[in-house]
Amino acid sequence: MNGEEHLIEHMMNPQNYGNLPEHNSIGMGKNPQNGEKVAIYLKVVEKEGEPFIEDINFQAIGCSTTIVAGSIITSEAKGITFSRAEELISVTIGMLDNVPPEDAACSEMVALGLKASLDTYRERQKDPRFPMISYHISNDCTPQEQENQEIEEKR
Amino acid sequence: MNILFKEIHELWLATQFTGFMSQTKSRQELYEFSNIIFKHLTWIENDFVKKDIAYGYDIPQVPIKVTHISVMINDLIRRIEAIEEKLSSCDDEHITFRMKSDLEYITSILKTLPEEEVESAFDSNRAYPNIELTTTARDALTVFLFEEIYKEYELILVYNYSKANSNNAFLNRIFQILIDESFFHLRSFGQMMADMGILSVPRSLMEEIYKFDDLEQFLKDGIEEEKGAKEECKKLAQAVSDSSEHFASFFMFINNQENYHIALMEEALAYINKK
Repeated sequence: MNGEEHLIEHMMNPQNYGNLPEHNSIGMGKNPQNGEKVAIYLKVVEKEGEPFIEDINFQAIGCSTTIVAGSIITSEAKGITFSRAEELISVTIGMLDNVPPEDAACSEMVALGLKASLDTYRERQKDPRFPMISYHISNDCTPQEQENQEIEEKR
Repeated sequence: MNILFKEIHELWLATQFTGFMSQTKSRQELYEFSNIIFKHLTWIENDFVKKDIAYGYDIPQVPIKVTHISVMINDLIRRIEAIEEKLSSCDDEHITFRMKSDLEYITSILKTLPEEEVESAFDSNRAYPNIELTTTARDALTVFLFEEIYKEYELILVYNYSKANSNNAFLNRIFQILIDESFFHLRSFGQMMADMGILSVPRSLMEEIYKFDDLEQFLKDGIEEEKGAKEECKKLAQAVSDSSEHFASFFMFINNQENYHIALMEEALAYINKK
């Protein structure tokens, strides 16, 4: 399967999509500009003294790129420890410099949703009533072409 | 009854999307059946609202990727049997009777539908029959169809939820027109997805999309989204105009239909503000 087919496959059959009723942590990545968001549900178990992502699901209010990013990142995050998940987040965010900002925004939203869910879990170990953590993205989701048009219209 | 509601929701989608796969007269039968099943969904929903029972539209992904339509037809029959076993959980005997009667008839017809090979609906080929698309046009159309099939499904459920939970005849008339319009668009885009080999059921909705507090804001956002969709249609019409006059005029037609949706939403907005 080439890269293009791989993306189409994720669009047709997004992996790990939907609520996870047995989750014990949840986090949210948000785009404050347009209200798009990604919720990441985790079922975490302790393995050899470290939290381990036994299961993961996501839900999103967002575009197809967000769904593809959610499908890929959650597939990578399933079955790994928190320290590996932190590496995954940092590699994902590191790669976004080379991506157009509107596409980077979608992947960043998913990565930050995962980060928020890891942090919510850690906080809930200290206080089980700790509320869900949300992080806001820094990339701008507005396509450059549209942004130029909006600036033009305001003139 | 919540499980029954979810299973009817899944059956509605499975029936509708099996219709998209078919290239024979079965398509129309399946469309009619999906209309009936959607009506069942609204009956149960109205019963929930009357009894003040909490409910939602969250369902697992409905698998539809098959090589032969008989696999889906057998799946629909199995789903109907599972629903029939749960009908007793609905204590309105009139609804139960009507649903049972409809489902028995639907099953009897499903058993007579001919076999069809439907592999091409899922082969990701993205070639449109008898139309030469440029790579740009093909990619733009692919993204548009994935975005819009979800959007139409979302709109059907959002307006349906609003209608079920409102007693306002003026607003409900507008909601119903918007539901009907979205059904038409869902079917247009679903057929195109099957033709391009990328057919898939849209993802389920997050609860906050349809359980909103501020109808006014929802309508304002909706108008902006429709304007965005108009622009997308215009761009697509342009992108495919060299490849296909038929496609170009179809997207201009959809673009112009969005004007009607905007007018309806503006009418609803003016009504709310007047109140």
